[in-house]
Amino acid sequence: MKLKLTWLLTLFMAFVMQFSFAQEKTITGTVTTADDGLPLPGANVIVKGTARGAQTDFDGKYSIKASSGEVLVFSYVGMKNVEMTVSASNTIDVSLQTDNTLDEVVVTGYRTQSKVTSSVSSVRVTAETIENRPNASFVQTLSGQVPGLNITTSTGQPGGNSLVQLRGVSSINGNTEPLFIIDGAPVDEDNFRSLNPQDIASIDILKDAGATAIYGNRGANGVIVIKTRQGNFNQGLKINYNGFIAYNTLQDNDYNAMSAQELLTYERTRGNGAGAGNSSGKFNPGAGTPLTDAQIAAAPNFNWTDFFFRTGVTQNHTLSLSSGSENTSQFTSFGFSDTQGILRDSDLKRFNLRSNITGKSSNEKFRYATNLTVNYSKSNEPNSIGSGAINRNYILGAYISVPYITPDDYIDGADLLSPLSFTNTPLFLLDRLNTYTRFEEEVKIVGSANFSYALTDWLTANAVLSADYQSEFLTRAEDPRSFNALLFGGAENPTSGFQQQNTNRAFSYNQVTSLNFNKTFADKHTIDVGLYTEYFKAHFRTFGYFGNGLDPRTFFPGDGSALIPTANGLFVDNPQANILNAGLFSYFGSLEYDYDEKYGFAATLRRDASYRFAGSNRWATFWSVSARWNISNEAFMEGSAFNNLKLRASYGTAGNQDIVGGGLFGGPDLTEDFFATTAGYGNANSIALSQLGNRSLRWETIATTNIGVDFGVWNNRLRGTFEVYERQTTDLFQSTPLSATTGVTSQSANTGELFNRGLDIDIDYDILRPTDPDGLRISVGVVGNYNETELKDLPNTEGEIIGLGRNGGILNEYFTLRYVGVNPANGNLLYLTANGNVTENPDADNDRVWLGKNIIPDWNGSFDVNLDYKGFFLTTQFNYVTGVDRFDNDYGGDLVDQNSVGQFNLSSDLFREWTTPGQVTDIPSPNAANLNSFGNSDRFLRDASFLRLRFASFGYSFPEKYLENTGLTNARVFLNGENLFTWSEWRGFDPETRSNGSRVYPTPRTISVGVELGF
Amino acid sequence: MKKFNKILFVGLLAVLMGCNDAIDIRQPGRLDAANAFGNVEDLELGVLALYNQMDVTPKISMAANFTDEIAIGFDSGGQGIALYDFVLNAGSTAASDFWVRNFRVNNRCTILIEAAANITPDASEQDAYDNALAQAYFIRAYANFELLLYFSPDPRDDSALAAPVIDFVAPLSIQPLRNTTGELWDYINADIATASTLSTVQSDPLFISRDAINALRARMAATRGDYPTAETLAGNLVASYPLASTVNYQLMFLDASNAEVIFKLERTQNDSYDGQGATGSVSAGGWAGAIFAFVDATLDGSPYFEMDRSVFNLLDPSDIRYTVNVAPTSVINPNYDTDPDPVNTDKLVIQKYPGSEGQPLMNDLKVFRSAEMLLIQAEARAAQNNLGGAAQLVKQLRDARFGSPQALPSYGSIADAFADILQERKIELCYEGHRYEDLKRIGPAANVGIERDNTDCTTQSGACTLSATDFRFTLPIPIVEINANPAIGGQQNPGY
Repeated sequence: MKLKLTWLLTLFMAFVMQFSFAQEKTITGTVTTADDGLPLPGANVIVKGTARGAQTDFDGKYSIKASSGEVLVFSYVGMKNVEMTVSASNTIDVSLQTDNTLDEVVVTGYRTQSKVTSSVSSVRVTAETIENRPNASFVQTLSGQVPGLNITTSTGQPGGNSLVQLRGVSSINGNTEPLFIIDGAPVDEDNFRSLNPQDIASIDILKDAGATAIYGNRGANGVIVIKTRQGNFNQGLKINYNGFIAYNTLQDNDYNAMSAQELLTYERTRGNGAGAGNSSGKFNPGAGTPLTDAQIAAAPNFNWTDFFFRTGVTQNHTLSLSSGSENTSQFTSFGFSDTQGILRDSDLKRFNLRSNITGKSSNEKFRYATNLTVNYSKSNEPNSIGSGAINRNYILGAYISVPYITPDDYIDGADLLSPLSFTNTPLFLLDRLNTYTRFEEEVKIVGSANFSYALTDWLTANAVLSADYQSEFLTRAEDPRSFNALLFGGAENPTSGFQQQNTNRAFSYNQVTSLNFNKTFADKHTIDVGLYTEYFKAHFRTFGYFGNGLDPRTFFPGDGSALIPTANGLFVDNPQANILNAGLFSYFGSLEYDYDEKYGFAATLRRDASYRFAGSNRWATFWSVSARWNISNEAFMEGSAFNNLKLRASYGTAGNQDIVGGGLFGGPDLTEDFFATTAGYGNANSIALSQLGNRSLRWETIATTNIGVDFGVWNNRLRGTFEVYERQTTDLFQSTPLSATTGVTSQSANTGELFNRGLDIDIDYDILRPTDPDGLRISVGVVGNYNETELKDLPNTEGEIIGLGRNGGILNEYFTLRYVGVNPANGNLLYLTANGNVTENPDADNDRVWLGKNIIPDWNGSFDVNLDYKGFFLTTQFNYVTGVDRFDNDYGGDLVDQNSVGQFNLSSDLFREWTTPGQVTDIPSPNAANLNSFGNSDRFLRDASFLRLRFASFGYSFPEKYLENTGLTNARVFLNGENLFTWSEWRGFDPETRSNGSRVYPTPRTISVGVELGF
Repeated sequence: MKKFNKILFVGLLAVLMGCNDAIDIRQPGRLDAANAFGNVEDLELGVLALYNQMDVTPKISMAANFTDEIAIGFDSGGQGIALYDFVLNAGSTAASDFWVRNFRVNNRCTILIEAAANITPDASEQDAYDNALAQAYFIRAYANFELLLYFSPDPRDDSALAAPVIDFVAPLSIQPLRNTTGELWDYINADIATASTLSTVQSDPLFISRDAINALRARMAATRGDYPTAETLAGNLVASYPLASTVNYQLMFLDASNAEVIFKLERTQNDSYDGQGATGSVSAGGWAGAIFAFVDATLDGSPYFEMDRSVFNLLDPSDIRYTVNVAPTSVINPNYDTDPDPVNTDKLVIQKYPGSEGQPLMNDLKVFRSAEMLLIQAEARAAQNNLGGAAQLVKQLRDARFGSPQALPSYGSIADAFADILQERKIELCYEGHRYEDLKRIGPAANVGIERDNTDCTTQSGACTLSATDFRFTLPIPIVEINANPAIGGQQNPGY
């Protein structure tokens, strides 16, 4: 009864209020920019405290219904808000000032709010710094732009995956990459090759627990929220074209590879190889007598690096159309790009279509938005990159092929079979280039729909439905006439060769439904409450075949005509198929309170369930609290140099359920013991143990503490953010060594702790800030992050695990023998014992020590300098990374490997090798007694710190006066460069590669030119 | 509006109720442990998985690479050089392979043996049930015997430390210490006795039979120094499995005859060993022939290991073993020892594993042959001071291999006889994984160690000889075990 009465009262109140505000009139006016007085299209006009709003049209004009006494708020991204109270006049013209406090709006959780009232750590990257960069994946472009966000691209394959880590490494085996959300849809964090970076409007990077706890089950490593471009209401058709062409080239190395003449001379000295007259390769085979000086001088000298690598040409075109009527708007874009990798046979072609539509009911209570992108890409991707396969890894051929063999020595694959010689490595690979096919085709569709209904002024119901569909299709085939097929087929099987086709399809569906309450009381108290549920389900399907045996008469890659039926145990084809399903469910709430934009408090609470822990600890609870104090809004700050000063702090927890780091479907049921029906003895079917379960599996929990200060002084001429944080991961899922007597040597379990502690710095300073828009503007900025890791409670009594680290030490600390040099007496290698004594024969086990070094950066970030003058602009970004120590295995394992003389090219450093007693040098004698005895030492451990001109852009924006009568509203030309210069002690091709592997595909240096046109 | 709220509430409720399909997911295609072994047929399929865990390529690789069977080949890419230089320590692959692999086999066998206890076979199934168990016990005994051979410094000293005895499914928290050699012998003997009782098959070249069990017992007896038992068991097997004719001997290594095979492990197209494996590693796990060459057993097959001259020089071209072991494409330089470039002028390609079923380098792995039994019998006779009887047996083998009567050797002492038997084993059983075990067992008594041909080893770093009493004839407890079980590190074998 009481309830009924309340509802009646509410209805009555609503009636009264509507009645009392019925004296509405139509206000019109023009919004201009204060800088140049030009009309500003797309500016928002809102009646304060209501959902009523409008946007300015192409001429900066607007029209809105409001009553006397109401307040109109005019806003535009990058401009300061202006509030005007409606009085007797029906016309209100406003001019907006540029606001140098960029990042006006921040995304927190599932909604946006103003930067002022946000109490969390987040950074926005806008379209300006993303568009027109010649990287196939937008993730590469973010490198260095956000403090704490470390992006490492270890492959030059166009569209290749990058490692994205926010504030260190929070897990040993689990996922360490942030959650990516595009227009509300959570997407695969490892695959962006099919998406068009030019569609992106903004990227928000959410860093602390206050911001990410609400993403609970997947937000433990930060969240990257991507919004794509939208049309505006009441906007005429706008057409935009931008295109660029880019040239990709190989970055240099410093290995001093020998010329043919140097190598032959060295081989002659060593008595091994073509120079010594005992090679079985194509050049000077088996003649038996060493080459004379004249013969060496006459030998061909071919550069195989320039053969396997090339100048890759990229072209990229994007055409977008946007328009809007009173209640709907749309943004459509078409993209095409063709990126050639610098490695031959690697490329990416892509076609993109995007359609974003927004709409609202005429009473503005109901709003909706749909975002859909459909993409197709095809990429040639050579495999075996990074391997030691001399017949498969082109990179190996590029780095260490002997220069006295040339492509002219190649006839066909059959010719290389006998004599079979390592020295012919480049010819094996040349044959593979001609006969091997491997490409991936991909369809990627990301769609989301967003509905909201304003039940009252202060209560909104929302639903976000989204889906990510990805279908990858792999084709690879080895021609039966190829060297590899003939070699491994042998005489018994002249129609060897294989063809493999495989399809992977992954579909994920995410649904968030919520009820949001937002109300301001007594003008100063604003309360925001949200109640949510999130449902997530994903499905993975794969199938394919591996067909052995191809008939050369009918062979064509991808076509099945050439497949040969099984005969005599040969040509057995292997089919495969797999189904995996995944799911998550959560419910959660958030509460936020603001007092007069001075003080604020927020909290979230979340319950999460993961399918992975169904057999153990399915549900977990995560929470966060955060608070802020806008000091600059206090009365006592009036008149100070600070126009913005905000102190904020947060603490909270988030869970990582992807504890094996295998994506959505990895480790789906690790709690169980399984047997499998599988091939056994004599290839007969058998039942074998396949998994020993861990019954106590649970979430990794990451607790983050964050304290930050945002400031702006002298009218924001100097502005920035300082933050310190600690991230504590507990219940780390890691390999725990087990006695081999258990039948296994390790099992992964939740044990131990890992800390990441560090600070983020982001400072910008306008050295010159002109009053005249054509004046010279110079600004500089620094982005930095320092992070250190610490391990705790490792799962054994010593508190140390080789390969991982030790208690109190850093993550992945190197543990190995210390190499100290070459013994001048005999040319042997010298090492240190654990006690620091020099020895030629260390104990390979007990003389290893912890080195205090790892491959994870200490400092990383960037410096930037930007200039603007009369439409010309110059942008530069220098990235730096320190504290990365890597084994230079391209050098140590290949170019100074004295055992490979006669087979591969070597570094001319070997001319320094020890020959006579008393000689002091860094290269041991090739006959040193312990040359091959201690493979693992720090001999080739190198500092891979670097400073790099990551990006530079120079361009010109044509002033509007030149564009009159051309039909253009906007025109810009630019010249961009990526990875232009690198300063580093690292001798290899790319210090950025985060791996201790060798023979990998380095990232290119890129120069591009482009135009941007608006119609 | 109230209605809308109601709808919303019901909607939220529906979502909450419907959430279980997202978090209670059973992946398709899983076989739970509880359902894996329900009947005798399941058990038999389980035994096939146990067989698949058996591999003798590690010991073939160990014997070849570490002792005096191979030389670094002209097409070497650096494979196996550390082991060739006698570098062996707790971090070596050899140590972890022999330890981890055999304990894995022990574990899988025990799981099956325990699962079998829950199956009650019908009378018609009893034989199949018993025979399945017999095979599981045998495979477990074989694995533990290998642990004993490689980790006990002296298999004839019952008080020496060997490996832990794990006759149960070990809990994951276990950190066992080493048992004595005597205790490990007891475990192996008990398993072999059970296998012997349960086995229902007398002879089968591809599966474990009573004859295979007896062959293992003969080898075990010789290892432990129980020569009377060894002589009896080996003698009986030689009687049942006569030595192959020269023709059949050749066919045997092409997998076209089982003439003197007591037990071999089948290797076939597309099985889990059908591949190159990790070349140059004791833990290779691929084709047996890939221990020596990348592609095939010819000069063009990229042999990274070649035949050591110390083997070649013992092979008479009229001996069928020359034909079997030396590839016809080999380049033989009689003056190799004075040639300035022996690596490239003297290329001896090993052909013991030429391939089968059209797959180069893939051959069945001979575990027990009657020639080995005959040599065990000879060794047992010599050890019991029956030197004439030993000589008679060695002659019997040579007669068979030459296809014509050979001179009767004469031995002046047990050491003489042992030395000659070791030499005969070196060519009869070369590349079959015996040399390391043989030198450890009777090398000191015969005063024989690793003796590589001088030319071959000096072109490398000069590792030419190693006494059979060297500590490296016992493997160290591997680091991978010490990491999980630190106390066992305090029981490391001498010398490491």
